[in-house]
Amino acid sequence: MAAFAKNQWYVAAYSDEIGRELLGRTILGEPIVFYRAEGDGAVVALADRCVHRRFPLSESRLDGDTIVCGYHGFTYDTTGACVYVPGQKRIPRTARVGAYPVVEQDTLVWVWIGDAEPADAKTIPRAPHLGDPAWTTVRGMEPIDADYGLLVDNLLDLSHETYLHGGYIGTPEVAETPISTEVDEGAAIVRVSRHMDDAACPPFYAKSTGIEGRISRWQDIEYFAPCLYLLHSRIVPVGAPPPGPDGEDSHAFHTEITYAITPSAEGKVYDFWAVSRDFAVDDEEVTEFLHAFNHKVVMQDVDALNLLQKVLADEPEGYQELSINIDTGGLAARRILARLAG
Amino acid sequence: MSGQSAEVYRIDWVPGSDLLHGVCHCGAEHLASDPIAMWEWMLAHPLGHEGSQGIQGSSQQSSTEISPQITAGESSSDGRHA
Repeated sequence: MAAFAKNQWYVAAYSDEIGRELLGRTILGEPIVFYRAEGDGAVVALADRCVHRRFPLSESRLDGDTIVCGYHGFTYDTTGACVYVPGQKRIPRTARVGAYPVVEQDTLVWVWIGDAEPADAKTIPRAPHLGDPAWTTVRGMEPIDADYGLLVDNLLDLSHETYLHGGYIGTPEVAETPISTEVDEGAAIVRVSRHMDDAACPPFYAKSTGIEGRISRWQDIEYFAPCLYLLHSRIVPVGAPPPGPDGEDSHAFHTEITYAITPSAEGKVYDFWAVSRDFAVDDEEVTEFLHAFNHKVVMQDVDALNLLQKVLADEPEGYQELSINIDTGGLAARRILARLAG
Repeated sequence: MSGQSAEVYRIDWVPGSDLLHGVCHCGAEHLASDPIAMWEWMLAHPLGHEGSQGIQGSSQQSSTEISPQITAGESSSDGRHA
């Protein structure tokens, strides 16, 4: 099992998931309740257990900006301080639930899991396309009953597209094309690139771009350990020129595939996924197609990882694996996660 | 967050071959036949890196272009690991 890396930012939700309804999520084994304050609209994140008898606050109710425990009425403000207990005036000094640092950025709600002091919002990796009106995004979230390390393995090695997602996003060229791997140790970033010069166009891109022939397909992964994964995808018909020296690339179809990999508990992970495109941005048909199609692809991964987790659970301790060239980036990610978990 | 730090490792799968070509942040280069062996060499820096600095060959070269002298470090590991 991949150990949890604490003292890191994790995606807890999409911004529009959090409003005046209480939302409970468990992150790195810590149950947290989220809601949005009435006054300034800020996201509040508190430990999701009443100090009295551990009742989940996410199953309670809001009264203004306070949460009233649904069991005995202990009431907490946005800082987690208890402001009311039933039947007595004295509120015990220990009557407080933990409050978590939160940052909303790029339509994502990030929560800091660890000691509050080092939380620095500037260290949160960016995914600006998610909130950029020049891009159209479809997205979702699937809980997976698998170790989060299995999802990291899955996403760092896209050769599985050929086999697990054949007929959707995979073509033979993905597994056959050599990769380049770059690891920025200090910044905890793993980059894996696969540039296919002449590849079949899978339905995912054929139907969304209208390209009928073969394509040049670039996949450039940036994994900002431990949580954010970006796949920069560039598609052009074979023979079209590469990006200009100034970066001009308006003739290409760009897709940003974003994942937030948030460990929930041991053997459980939240799989936040989003597909953003810079073409056909107002075409509802393309939007509906990409959402439905990518959801199918995500569910193929979910089913595979649920199954893999089950069989691994029955393996004896210290089971053996075999790594080959396609695993170069995944191995780097594993090592960085182990270091961050320290 | 996305700024580059000084410690950057690069490993290219040499097109047309099964070999990996690694470049350490110190500039040392290495060939290996599986990623476990490559990462072991890479992370052992500076051990085993002195003799491989300044070797001919870049990450863009094909297997036939790479100087035979850097194949000396090729691993015999078969990639198995617990």
